[in-house]
Amino acid sequence: MTTDVPVLEDVEMKEPQAPPSNSATSAGPSTLQHLKEIVALIETGAYAKEIRRIVRAVRLTIVLRKKLTSGVISAFLGYALVPGSEVHSRLSSYLSKEDNHDMDVDTATSAAQAPAKHALPELEIYCYLLVLIFLIDKKRYEEAKACSSASIARLKILNRRTVDVLAARLYFYYSYSHELTNSLAEIRGNLLALHRLATLRRDELGQETLLNLLLRNYLHYNLYDQAEKLRSKAPRFEAHSNQQFCRYLFYHGKIMTIQLEYTDAKESLLQAARKAPLRAQGFRIQCNKWAIIVRLLLGEIPERTVFMQKGMKKALTPYFELTNAVRIGDLELFRAVADKYAGTFSQDRTHNLIVRLRHNVIRTGLRNISISYSRISLADVAKKLRLDSPNPVADAESIVAKAIRDGAIDATIDHAGGWMVSKETGDVYSTNEPQAAFNSRIAFCLNVHNEAVRALRFPPNSHKEKESSEKRRERQQQVEELAKHIAEEDDEEF
Amino acid sequence: MDPRLTEVTQLFGRFKAAFVRSDFSSCDKLLSQLKVLLTKFPSLPPSFQESPNAIQELTIARDIYEHAVVLSVKTEDQDAFERDFFQLKPYYTDTSGIIPPSPQEYPILGLNLLRLLVQNRIAEFHTELELLPTSALENPCIKYAVELEQSFMEGAYNRVLSARQAVPHESYVYFMDLLAKTVRDEIAGCSEKAYDHLSIADAKKILMFSLDQDLATYISEERPEWEIRSGCVFFQKARESAPSKEIPSLQLINQTLSYARELERIV
Repeated sequence: MTTDVPVLEDVEMKEPQAPPSNSATSAGPSTLQHLKEIVALIETGAYAKEIRRIVRAVRLTIVLRKKLTSGVISAFLGYALVPGSEVHSRLSSYLSKEDNHDMDVDTATSAAQAPAKHALPELEIYCYLLVLIFLIDKKRYEEAKACSSASIARLKILNRRTVDVLAARLYFYYSYSHELTNSLAEIRGNLLALHRLATLRRDELGQETLLNLLLRNYLHYNLYDQAEKLRSKAPRFEAHSNQQFCRYLFYHGKIMTIQLEYTDAKESLLQAARKAPLRAQGFRIQCNKWAIIVRLLLGEIPERTVFMQKGMKKALTPYFELTNAVRIGDLELFRAVADKYAGTFSQDRTHNLIVRLRHNVIRTGLRNISISYSRISLADVAKKLRLDSPNPVADAESIVAKAIRDGAIDATIDHAGGWMVSKETGDVYSTNEPQAAFNSRIAFCLNVHNEAVRALRFPPNSHKEKESSEKRRERQQQVEELAKHIAEEDDEEF
Repeated sequence: MDPRLTEVTQLFGRFKAAFVRSDFSSCDKLLSQLKVLLTKFPSLPPSFQESPNAIQELTIARDIYEHAVVLSVKTEDQDAFERDFFQLKPYYTDTSGIIPPSPQEYPILGLNLLRLLVQNRIAEFHTELELLPTSALENPCIKYAVELEQSFMEGAYNRVLSARQAVPHESYVYFMDLLAKTVRDEIAGCSEKAYDHLSIADAKKILMFSLDQDLATYISEERPEWEIRSGCVFFQKARESAPSKEIPSLQLINQTLSYARELERIV
């Protein structure tokens, strides 16, 4: 569980493997140069109110992540912020420990070049973000915690749409630094307040991020009840960031699994695993683990290819053996596997789910028996299922009876004779089963298509910047009318 | 000592005395007085203000709510149980750093699990279960509830019933009796699907009745569709799932139309 964040973070790294030969001195000026370019990008973004540019700036920063040194950053702070200002001195204090003196010259020059025009809040927040990332990378978590708390306090006062992108990143690192120091419970109230603030400001990206952080926070302490209450009441809208959406799906899947809504859970978890970028290996492994268990609980047997995915084979081995035990319906083997990997399962926090699986193992075993025998004595059933209990025959009888009622097997019990008689399996094509299966598949395909089309649409307003607000309103009205018209026509068709 | 604390302590002493005497009506009255008094303590959830008496206040409040839960079991009031339990819960989850854990914690949590099981609220059962640390699963009270749930899901009903003899705490008996009734209904539901017919003696044994009379009353009250003739109970066979001859035309038309509409949007 703790592994997925840093890995998902990697997604944004275009060049995760920075050349190791890059010493601070040689990389210094060029990194600083890059940072200055980013500043230019943020400035134009802030003046033109183009969020897109700021998103790009954040992405470029992550590329530089491995090259950051305290020298570069302090030089950059001197460039971007007003030296001597409160923010500057506060942020510099985090860096002072391992100052690289070879950068002093550069600091001086850039500070001289930069007049006090850089008072943009976006830049200030960006500096916070940069220092925070640096502190986390250097594993100075306590300082990161202090720095992030200071930045959040500052963010609460700012209300600018162009800050939102940066703010969302800051929220993430704020929560992450607290998770690393194991103090997530402290910030829950703060996160809730921030979520409310983001909702009031219609900062959808912020809401999305904060909702996920809150869910993560609750799930960290296994507070599934609270998590579900928040999730079901929080406003939902079209996802802005694919990663946040993946996370949301994953958390949703987990909550649904615990609450026994396996069908919903399966859908969410599989979608999360499918949508997650290839780089986010740890996250995808987690999704797959949960998805496997949920499918087993639903009585499905995941295909072998699921376990053989590149890079996941090792991590999924325990689950593979588990699946095997469920597939065969062998309680003894199931118990052995559960014991063998007890450590892994409790680490994955899936132990309680595994316990639930026992009943599926019995079901599969029973189904196998009912397929192979047309008549079998209950004593043999008990022996085959390896029920270990003081009164196996009576247990077997009631278990079989329940399986019959739940529709898992089609059979009857003869109590006087003490045996179970399987019924002939009917021809599935004489029922409506194939039609239902066909329908669900078509629905899935059509849904995929519709979502793909929706994803291809242009982001609102990106190509019509010059359009006046009046014109836009007019156009929206037209679109709405058209939509209404179409909907009415659709209705009439029926 | 704080006068309010003294008052609560005295009143709680009287409550406990009445509790031991099994004088439940005066217990009820004292309890509602106590609950009102407790609202005046600043250190209790949800405010958790730091006060010099915090430890005593929290301890006594927890003790009172624990007694309230047990009392609700004794008076067989499930709604009161739920209310009192939710008032008690923050003391278990949020005061771990302030006061030492209560010896009653696991018996009461186990009792709550059992209640959820009896009321067939399995989703909440599992949500509660996730909150417990792994070590708690070893506790006899918790383990008892967890194993019951498993046997219940599997259908090993006689294991559920025989568990009644091994209750880890006397207050569990009430819920176990309720569970026995739930189990009987389950067994009846399973039997009518699984058997064609049963002899009266077997039916009595399976449904846990000692007298023919009881069985007959049960059938006439709960399962009027069963039939007793020539010493056997016959279950109605109205559920024959013959392959459907009829074509669900309306549904098919709807589906086909929706395909057509979607396809039109694509092309």
